[in-house]
Amino acid sequence: MTILDPLLDLFRGKAVTVPPLDGAFRPNRLLDEASALTSISEPTDLAVKDGRTLVASGNAVHALKADGSTEVVESFTAPVTALAVSPTGALAVALDSGRLFVDGTEVKLPDGINCLIALSYAANGILLIANGSFLHRPTDWRRDMMEKNAAGSVWALHPDGTTRRLADGLAWPSGVLADGAGVVVAEAWQRRLVRIADGRSQVLVSNMPGYPARMSRAGEGVLLAVFAPVNRLIEFVLQEDDYRRAMMAEIPPDYWIAPALASGNSFLEPLQCGGIKTMGIHKPWSPSRSYGLLVRLDRGFQPVASYHSRADGRRHGVVAAVTAGGAIHVACAGGGEILALDA
Amino acid sequence: MSFRERLQSWRYNLVPDHLIGEILSKRWTDNAIPFLALILVVAGFGSVIPGFFKPASLQDSTRQLGEFSIVVTGLTVVMLGGGIDLSVGSIFALATFSSVAAFFIFDLPVWVAFLAALATGCVFGAINGYLVGFLRLRAFLTTLVTFIIGRAIFDILIVNYGAAVQTSTASSDTWDFIGDGTLGGLSIPVIGAAVIAIFTHIALTRSRIGWHILAVGGSRRSAHNAGIKVKRTIFLTYVFSGLCASTAGFLIACRLSGAGPGTGLNMEILALTAAVVGGNSLGGGRGSVAKGLMGAVIVLVMNNGLIRLGYGTGTNQMVIGIMLAIAVTIDIRWLKNRHKVLNEVYVAPIYLKMGAAQSALPGSGTPFALNNAISQTDYIGLGALEGPEDVILDRDDHLYCGTRHGEIVRFFAPDYRRSEVFAHVGGFPLGLAFDRDGNLLSCVGAMGLYSITPDRVVTRLSAETRRSLTSVQDDARLRDPNDLDIAPDGKVYFTDSTKRFDAHDWALDSIENRATGRLLVYDPKTGATRTLLDGYHYLNGVCMAHDGRSLFVAESWACRVHRYWLEGPKAGTAECVIRDMPGYPDNINRASDGTYWMAWLGMRTPSFDLSLRHPGFRKRMTRRLPQDDWLFPNINTGGVVKFDESGRVLGTLGDLSGRSHPMVTSMREHKGWLFIGGILNNRIGRLKLDGADPRWTGPTSYWGERA
Repeated sequence: MTILDPLLDLFRGKAVTVPPLDGAFRPNRLLDEASALTSISEPTDLAVKDGRTLVASGNAVHALKADGSTEVVESFTAPVTALAVSPTGALAVALDSGRLFVDGTEVKLPDGINCLIALSYAANGILLIANGSFLHRPTDWRRDMMEKNAAGSVWALHPDGTTRRLADGLAWPSGVLADGAGVVVAEAWQRRLVRIADGRSQVLVSNMPGYPARMSRAGEGVLLAVFAPVNRLIEFVLQEDDYRRAMMAEIPPDYWIAPALASGNSFLEPLQCGGIKTMGIHKPWSPSRSYGLLVRLDRGFQPVASYHSRADGRRHGVVAAVTAGGAIHVACAGGGEILALDA
Repeated sequence: MSFRERLQSWRYNLVPDHLIGEILSKRWTDNAIPFLALILVVAGFGSVIPGFFKPASLQDSTRQLGEFSIVVTGLTVVMLGGGIDLSVGSIFALATFSSVAAFFIFDLPVWVAFLAALATGCVFGAINGYLVGFLRLRAFLTTLVTFIIGRAIFDILIVNYGAAVQTSTASSDTWDFIGDGTLGGLSIPVIGAAVIAIFTHIALTRSRIGWHILAVGGSRRSAHNAGIKVKRTIFLTYVFSGLCASTAGFLIACRLSGAGPGTGLNMEILALTAAVVGGNSLGGGRGSVAKGLMGAVIVLVMNNGLIRLGYGTGTNQMVIGIMLAIAVTIDIRWLKNRHKVLNEVYVAPIYLKMGAAQSALPGSGTPFALNNAISQTDYIGLGALEGPEDVILDRDDHLYCGTRHGEIVRFFAPDYRRSEVFAHVGGFPLGLAFDRDGNLLSCVGAMGLYSITPDRVVTRLSAETRRSLTSVQDDARLRDPNDLDIAPDGKVYFTDSTKRFDAHDWALDSIENRATGRLLVYDPKTGATRTLLDGYHYLNGVCMAHDGRSLFVAESWACRVHRYWLEGPKAGTAECVIRDMPGYPDNINRASDGTYWMAWLGMRTPSFDLSLRHPGFRKRMTRRLPQDDWLFPNINTGGVVKFDESGRVLGTLGDLSGRSHPMVTSMREHKGWLFIGGILNNRIGRLKLDGADPRWTGPTSYWGERA
């Protein structure tokens, strides 16, 4: 700290900083060491119905069988983006095209719900819907982020078919969970958890080291999937409007300097200095566009523990986790696997 | 090209931003701020005060300046030794009184008066030196005490004997000449100051005691550990300061022929301000006599200028105080942050639009399409080897490579399991080549071109070329000698990839992308090195064509290969034979079928290519992000490319898995096998080539069968 710093900052700009992985976020290799239940291409969500774990992947909902294989439960015409099971056992399925089915029957949604990222039932049978952005489809999440949009909303669908908007102007709400009289929303691009009750919002956790997504109850606490890490270079690109616009206009999204569910698969992807393989080693602490992170929250939604797959791991892009039969099942989109952790 | 891009290219390619970093890395930039202040002060007061530059006015000012700068020179030496001397003012006053008393009261000759002054200074300096140096008291408090006591003694003496001095009738031509006369237009104080300054400068920079003073000031403990007599050195600096102050006192005594209560008043503050404003560090160890002199001029001009503009003592002292505060702040901040500033501004990216490349994606159908052909190789030296940038085989099939520890390691044929350190060169041995006599020549990063005889005698062949006329940083020195090859006549053609970064920072050069790569030739007959080509984006691999009439040279960051003609109608010119590759070329070597192998150290990525068109983006990136987070070209995927004499690309071997050879910087064909090295790898790979000549070797191809 010097008295001159504020003055110099005008010329040099602030250093870009990101929250450290410390405290409850201290890195480990628990996701890499976890056993895999099955391999499935790019799972997007999990739900538990009648003790069976359901996996959304591609255009179908699959059920996980005890022998590690999967069977298709239900097929659709567009990629499935979110699942939820009601207290009475009804299965809600959202599609990338913006349609919603409950037990196979399409539910008519009002205008403004077009990007269903996450579904969750409250105890009273109300279906909570996280609508990521009215500008893009769920699969265009990278574009929504790089456009720095805050065009998302959260809705409640009552059993009688009426809908009510609980909040809007959210930056890609990608997880939603009923909590008493209120609703807790994971606001991805703001990297925070917000509790919304009676039209008022209260920030529960802010400046998380990654982009939070779906939440589920696990005993007393909550499991929170964090699908991508915050990265200094990406934060910097978000400040650089010229470069960012040119990048979005000229480069395919897979090769953007943007968060990813998996990285290192193509030589056309961006590489950061720390990610250079040296002497046969890819440093686990190196900056990466993708990461595996599952966080355990306490009753008050404060992080208490976490499960990691670091930069050199393969189990990146944790999009959902549920408790099923005394274990935690984790959907890992980057690795294309469903993992089992001890609850 | 859009208007915005055109503006960017003008802004970043025509404005020489890189010079800021190069200038800042010069030691003399420490003088820049005081020098600027000097010019401002002199020009400012010179233009405001009428007659400031008139000879009579200058003559008077310079006398005063002479005396003052002698005091400052002494104080500078104390400060360089890590101390401070607040007693210079009272020593100055006492010395004035001593000489005045000797001359006027005791009627002694002038030289005795001078000696009396010196003796006073010597005694007080010795007291300071003894207390600070030997008893290790705090310099600030100790000299404050001597200052107060000295001043008190002077006040008592001047009250009691002031009248006796004034009524004395003693006179001497010598005394008057020292006070008023000139020698060749210069007054005695100026000449005295110049002599003392030059003497002190030479002593500080070129003598044992001078180096000791700087060492003690820089780090007392290190100096002590290095065997320097720290206490004695500090003692001597105070004695010197006392002598300087008393010399100045003698000179003013001659000039004013008397002493009064105001003699030497506030001298310590002025001298201290001068020394610090000139840029001498309060912490010791950094500074020079020249800086002290600059400070003396600034302070004196400021002081006298303000008086002549009619400002009172209060204003004057306030200005001096503010100057001291600013100088101290700059001194401390600058010292602490200079390297940070340098780090922040050194990388100065330029605009570059890369041409569209053919795809290297597997299945794209282009000759560049990568595959997994080198992902399964026989590993040599896995885990025992670090950084084999280049690999080469001799006539007996032994394998040689450089390592990042500065060694040349030899693996023994036929199985390459056993190895030995063939020679220790230091630096980072990169490119390798055998000459006609079987000597191994190597481009050693950060060092130069070296030769190692078969019986392991290491000789430096070349470490410099001619300096270019417009260089700020010395570009005669070879910073990143990278690869070499030897022509049939024995001349060694080699590259120096960048003038901007040291060898281990080679990848940073890709961020800046300034074209400073050179092709050089070393002539073993004359021992001279000449620059053939300059201004390329990281010139890297060099390979003599099979007929020895031209050579191929790779331009890494521009993804091009050039052919440089040694003979024929195009001799001395380069033409581009492969352009816009999807990968960054590194070393080039001969293949057995009359074609060439080229290593790719990495692949172009759309995001990095785009950043090359946004130099401002890269510049800010280097300032706001730690280096680990910077965007790099993808140097986690490389390959080996085969091309023919005309530059037609025949095919590419890759390691898409990245497990064996993520980055490839070299390859050598030898008896039907391909040996693969990588500067960031920990192994050499060996791959059996289908259909390659099982008898072909590099040494035979270059120098024929063994004589």
